[in-house]
Amino acid sequence: MTGGQLLAEAARHLPAARCAAEEGTVTMDVPREDWLAALAFARDTAGCDFFDWLTAVDEQDKGLAVVVHLYSIEDRQHLLVRTLIPPEDPALPTATPLFRGAAWAERETHEMFGVVFDGHPDLAPLLLPEGFEGHPLRKDFPLAARAAQDWPGAREPGERATSARSRRRLVPPGVPEGWPPA
Amino acid sequence: MNEIDLDAGHLPPRSRGVIGLLEENCTVCMLCARECPDWCIYIESHKQTVPAPDSGRPRVRNVLDRFAIDFSLCMYCGICIEVCPYDALFWSPEFGYPETGIAGLTHERDRLRDWMQTVPPPPAHDPGAPPPREAQAAGPGADPAGQAG
Repeated sequence: MTGGQLLAEAARHLPAARCAAEEGTVTMDVPREDWLAALAFARDTAGCDFFDWLTAVDEQDKGLAVVVHLYSIEDRQHLLVRTLIPPEDPALPTATPLFRGAAWAERETHEMFGVVFDGHPDLAPLLLPEGFEGHPLRKDFPLAARAAQDWPGAREPGERATSARSRRRLVPPGVPEGWPPA
Repeated sequence: MNEIDLDAGHLPPRSRGVIGLLEENCTVCMLCARECPDWCIYIESHKQTVPAPDSGRPRVRNVLDRFAIDFSLCMYCGICIEVCPYDALFWSPEFGYPETGIAGLTHERDRLRDWMQTVPPPPAHDPGAPPPREAQAAGPGADPAGQAG
């Protein structure tokens, strides 16, 4: 099925989905209620039966975006299915009945972003050590390594380590204000 | 053994092996240390007053005391080299500098200077490319390739 056919079929099967096509990749944004229906449509109707990867993106105010990349080997057609879920209730039905290979990807997305995949056979941590607290790929997760070391760029040119600190202090980029907590 | 040639001279152009420091070009502006995403560049410096040659005002300049790159933290992104306004940092293709202790991967200024000896000359311009700006500024009659002799 070509990108254009896929768009037409998606509009018929999933009226709530917003679809766009560009350069061999179709992007489908679906509400979370349609998540499994969209994946079933992609596999059975659109022929995108190769599960490539599944992950999430922390979109902060907008919520958590869960993204899955599917591919049709026969038609060489890429398909991205996305949904936004609120970070305070990050639950989504599991895709493992449709794609068994999604199990590890969902375990990783669970530990890294805190997304709970309802019905997953075993959501045990995949990469993080046992007892690790927090979800390290969420934007509000501070990096502990940034507290263990002083920022080497804080010093002014020609400033000795012993000299008095200048009034205007630069702050390192990407480190949230008030971090590390005193 | 396999057939891969690990001699740095046979690596692809612009290979990222290690970073060399041309100390003479460094003005201790701190830009590289501030832009480094890994916080792996350590710079220490002090100010020195240089008397003016004629009866002018004495000038203050920054003198480099320490320049070190911790290659155990470096992710070889090259931002420091891109951001340096005075061309003091360069890529070298040399990649073989293993250590048995992690502290040994912090290369101080003398080691970074030694790496400068391994930095390849910049690639030649494409055929038909406009002459370098320096050659243009030198005016007609100057060697278009910018090479002496």
